Amino acid sequence: MKNHLENILVFATNIKTENDKQKITNTLNKHSEIKQWNVDQEDIDCVLRIVTNTLSEEHIIHLIKQHDFDCAALD
Amino acid sequence: MRTRDTNKEEIVKQKAIEMLVKLGIEGFGMNRLAKESGVSVATLYIYYADKEDLIKKIGIEIGQTFFNEMIQHFSPTMPFKEGLRKQWENRARFTIENPLSVACWELLSHSSYRESILEKSIIDFKTVMSTFLNNAIEKKELVCMPKEVFWSIAYGPLYTLLRFHNEGKNMAGTPFKLTKEATDEAFELVIKALTP
Repeated sequence: MKNHLENILVFATNIKTENDKQKITNTLNKHSEIKQWNVDQEDIDCVLRIVTNTLSEEHIIHLIKQHDFDCAALD
Repeated sequence: MRTRDTNKEEIVKQKAIEMLVKLGIEGFGMNRLAKESGVSVATLYIYYADKEDLIKKIGIEIGQTFFNEMIQHFSPTMPFKEGLRKQWENRARFTIENPLSVACWELLSHSSYRESILEKSIIDFKTVMSTFLNNAIEKKELVCMPKEVFWSIAYGPLYTLLRFHNEGKNMAGTPFKLTKEATDEAFELVIKALTP
């Protein structure tokens, strides 16, 4: 059985510390097209997880790179 | 749009339980879980927001399954002895059939996840059990005592026997298998202690 989910995008990043996270928090919180986001800082890839119905992976990568962090889509 | 495969999700859950029991909460990681369940890290993050979210969800699910099993063929209006006997049967069956889930539950319910897991999984069960015990006290089928004292006398012997059974040996290292006779004998002694 398969059921559809909201669009969830996941990325490997180097958002490692709480301080790093603070740098992107404002941008992501304020973005009206991002419904929910979190970074799993316990994970080796510091996985950034974004719930959005409209934004593309490229858009998120661009957004994160503006803050001088690495960001690559996870397959 | 990404889709969710419930078969894969079951595999992930089973693996996560195994790994939590084997490695503990600290040693457990999303990357390793993905590898061992044969899914990509990305897929794992489609299912769960992060490690904390995964552990919470797994804990709540085990709790709910456990407590649903506990109330099988059980009613809070049963006579005390019959009801407690049913609790023993349900608890013993679940513990013997799901040793990994039980071990995982033990681990999580003694960790910082305790509150968030218990809160979501046992509310209904708590109500059912307190109704059962209050009824029993009213009907004078049960001696009134603090709930910790009740719990340790009512279930302590069972869980000790189940531990011996799971380990396959008793406290002295002698081989042990829980039989109906041993269960009945312990149960009768528990009833003797709890009834007026």
